[in-house]
Formats: sequence, structure tokens, C-alpha cells
Amino acid sequence: MKTINNNLRLFWQGTVLSYVALFAWFRPVTYIASKILMPLAQMIFFTFLGSYASGGSNVDFYVIGNAIQITAVSGIFGVTMSIGGDRWAGTLAYLFGTPANRMMMFFGRAFMHVIDGAFGVVIALTWGALLFGVDFSQTNLSALGLTILVTTISTCGLGLLMGCLSLITANVMFVNNTVYFLLLIFSGANIAIDTLPNWMQAFSQILPLTRGIASARILIAGGSFAEVVPLLTSEAGIGIIYGWLGYFLFKWFEVQAKRKGSLETV
Amino acid sequence: MNIIEVQNLKRVYRATNGVIRRTTKEIVAVDDLSFDIKEGELFGLLGPNGAGKTTSVKVLATLLIPDAGQVRVKGLDIVKDANEVRKEIGFIFGGERGLYWRLSGNDNLRYFASLYHVAPEISKKRIPYLLELVGLKGRGDERVQGYSRGMKQRLHVARTLLHDPDILFLDEPTIGLDPVGAREFRDVIRNLQSEKKTILLTTHYMFEADSLSDRVAVIDKGLIVALDTPSALKKHVRDLSVVEIETFGIAPNVVEEIRKLPFVDSLSTREQDHRQILHVQTERGAEAVPDLMASLEGMRVGRVTVREPTLEDAYVRLVGGKA
Repeated sequence: MKTINNNLRLFWQGTVLSYVALFAWFRPVTYIASKILMPLAQMIFFTFLGSYASGGSNVDFYVIGNAIQITAVSGIFGVTMSIGGDRWAGTLAYLFGTPANRMMMFFGRAFMHVIDGAFGVVIALTWGALLFGVDFSQTNLSALGLTILVTTISTCGLGLLMGCLSLITANVMFVNNTVYFLLLIFSGANIAIDTLPNWMQAFSQILPLTRGIASARILIAGGSFAEVVPLLTSEAGIGIIYGWLGYFLFKWFEVQAKRKGSLETV
Repeated sequence: MNIIEVQNLKRVYRATNGVIRRTTKEIVAVDDLSFDIKEGELFGLLGPNGAGKTTSVKVLATLLIPDAGQVRVKGLDIVKDANEVRKEIGFIFGGERGLYWRLSGNDNLRYFASLYHVAPEISKKRIPYLLELVGLKGRGDERVQGYSRGMKQRLHVARTLLHDPDILFLDEPTIGLDPVGAREFRDVIRNLQSEKKTILLTTHYMFEADSLSDRVAVIDKGLIVALDTPSALKKHVRDLSVVEIETFGIAPNVVEEIRKLPFVDSLSTREQDHRQILHVQTERGAEAVPDLMASLEGMRVGRVTVREPTLEDAYVRLVGGKA
């Protein structure tokens, strides 16, 4: 019981304090720019572009796709900062020198970004309703909320993996940007997946977000929760796989750093 | 009773270069190092840059796996029982990094308390106590980014004492501190000594090791070249005197010529502003001054003094005048 309490406390404190300590965008101006203005600009850009290209008949497709994809800002960039920030702060040696449960330490870093990311999606969908008239009158809002949460968690799973890469490479923001734009193309946010070549469709299926976006579109169009359960289950599964891959990479990194003496040089 | 036992410790770093033709270079950081530290002792580890001091501390702190040898802390093996060892030790590496600058001092300590599984009811009392112990009383709510370097170092000490470890590894903790900050930090170390902590201290400052350490090991090229009390180490040079000569723009070849003089036991130089201070160890004491001045003929020379040797002089002799 004592161990469980210790680990839960570590998870919670790691969640809150690491978010404040390491999330570099956690300043009013930077936060508003990166979490509100940039996503809004992205949504407006792709919605106007997409509706122009499709003859203005498919506004909801682009608004919903981009609103859900915005969770990647928190999931990829935010989580990466919260994992990789220890490298820049010089705190890795002090973390690895503690007896703390690594799993709690690791997954705790993503938790606030799940909340933050979900909040970002809600704001984006609100913009969608206000600016583009997206209609939620037929939507099962509880199911949509669950979709947003599951999609954010799965995107944070990929973020945890990317965060571990930031412990190994100095060029992680380049990698993060690439992943972010790959998600714009392959997640179905802006291009219908069934119009992509087969190999691209296959690639779409191993990414987080793909099923979350599809699920959100179904629900906002008036679909039932039962229709999206298989999509949400797969979406959660993909997120869990990425999260565990990240955790194993984190453990591998710790072992390698102790073998090679590379804790400060990475 | 020995609380730390290091036997035949060896650690090699391997650096790989090249993509197609990969070459691996091996650097022996610690080579067959053995020493014991008694409970409650302050053990100084001295040596030039690259001697293996920090590597030794990292191994003891479970942050590096040794290539050979055995290291036991409180009877626990630092590799097999790493997690148990971590509960018993605290460590600090010199410099400002290693803290979350955007958090307050209190929040830094709260986070590390949770990492060390310190119960909240204990950490609530312990954090104010530790902040007072390290001279940061009333500053805990401020963000660390506003702390001076000395304050950050003292916060590191508070951090490392959160779980009340019996053993502390302090790796060059006063490096970069101004004289006042360094003096305050030494007072903190004395406080820890009075709390019966076992401390391994590595430092470049000989007077620091002299004034704080119960015993000192001098290491060079990963090997111990001397291990004794500071007063016993000074006996290594009791037959010598030290001539200090202030010079301005002395050429390296002149330094080498002086080093080769038959009455010079060892020689080290120290840059100070635009001056170079020569420290010449010699059995001839003041009698060596005219010959030394002859070697410096035509050069601008300032103050010349002859003094008794210190621990630093013993250290310079032990590591071959490289300091």
C-alpha cells in the first residue's frame, strides 16, 4: 500500500511540476500563440484551401479533421519538451540517481498534456462552430468527449516515444515537425484516407489520430457511440503501443547511459 | 567501520568515430582504484583534471557501471543493489545545472522528495528545516532562475538531504562560487559533518580539502598516488620550501628551463590576471632565489616570496608538478 501511495504521489507531482518546469511554452504569450492562434490559423488555412478545392461542399470535413489534429501540438511537442527538457536542465543524472519508479516518472510527464491537448481540441471545435457553422445538434457530446480524450491519449503515446528520441538526438524538433506534418497528411485530417495510395493508407493505420478523427466525424454527423467503439478501441491500442515503446526506449536509454557514460553527452 | 569499500575499480570510456570506417578510442578514466571510507568520515579526493575523480563519484552514485572491481556502499553492491544504494546516498555535481529553474526552491524540493519517496508529512517539516540549514530560509518561494550560483549550490545540498541519507558525494561543489559563496558552502559542509554524515568530497581547492577532510586520497591517471591525513601528506614536502615568483608574460620555454634546474624539485604555474605565479619547490629555500632570478634575467619580475609548504605543494609534488 505504501509503495502504491508513493508511486501515485510521484505520478501526480511529476505530472504537475514537470509540466510547469519543462514545458517551454507555458508562458502566457507563448501559450496563446502556440496553443490557440497557431491551431486556429491552421484550421482556417486548411478549411479555406480544402473547401476551395472541393467546391465548398465539405467544410465540416476540414474543420473537424484539423480541430482533432490540433491535439498533436500538445501530444507531440508538449510531451517531447517534458521528457527531453531534463536533458537541457541537466537533471537527468539526478533523476536516474533516485530510487523512483521509472514508469510513474515517465508516464506522469504526459498526463497534463492529455488535459491540455483535449482542452485545445474543445477550443478548436468551438472556433469551428463559431467561424464555420459546424453543427453539433445531432452529436452525442459524451461520446465526442471520450473520442477527444482517447485520441489525445494516443497522440501523447507517440509523443512519449518522440520525447525519448530527444534524449538521444539533438535534432528532435526537426523530427517532431516532420511527424506533425506527416500527421497532417496521413491522419485523414485534410485528405480522405480512401483517396490515398494503398501503401499510404497502410501507413495511416499505424498512426494515432487516424481513427480518432474518423470517429469524431461520425459522431458530429449524428452517428451513434456503438458505431465508433471499434475505432476508439483501436485508437487507444495504438496509443498504448507507442507509449510502451517510448517507455522501453527510456529504460534502454538509462541502461546505455550507465554503460557508456553518456548521460551528459547525449 | 567501513561504510564505503572500493576495490580495484576500473572504468574505461570508449569513444567511437567515423561512419564507414569506425574507430574506437579507449580512455582509461579509473584504473585499479581501491580505498575505504569510514562511517562519519569526510574523505577528500584530489587530482588534476581527468584524473578520474568525477568518474569515481558517478560509479559510487550508481550512474556508471564499472568495467571491473567491486564497489560496496553500506555493504550493498552498487550494480546489483543499485536501487537500495540510491536510498542511502545523496550526491551533487558542481555547477548550476540539475535544478528546475522555472520552479521555486520549495517546488524543486517537493518534487525530489516524491522521487525519493519521502512522505508528505515528513517533507513538509523537512523542507523548511533544510532550507534553513543551507542558509536559504525565506527564499524557498522564489523561482530558482533568480537564485545566485551559490544559492543554487546550496539548494542542491538541501535536495540531496531530503531523504536524510547517511552518505554524501560532493563533486567539486564549490566550483565557480565567489569567495564568500564558497566560504558559506564550506560552513554548510561543516554542518553536515556535525550531523555525522559520511562525505566524499572532490575538490580542486587544496585549502578546502585541508580544512575539511579527515583523510585525503590523491589520484592521478586513475590511480591513487597517496592516501593519508592532510597533515601526514604535508610531511611529504616538509624537507622543501616553496619560492613564489610573480612574473609578467613569461614564455613557456623559460618555465621548462627552470623546471630542469638541478635544485628544482617541482614547478607549477598559476595564471592570475595578467601575471603568472611560479611555484618552485626546492630544498634550498631562499638560497635558490639568486639562481632562479638569473634564469629570469631580462624578464619583468614582481614579488618574490619564500614560504613553508602546504597541502597544495604536497599535491603538486605527488602529481608531478602538473597543477
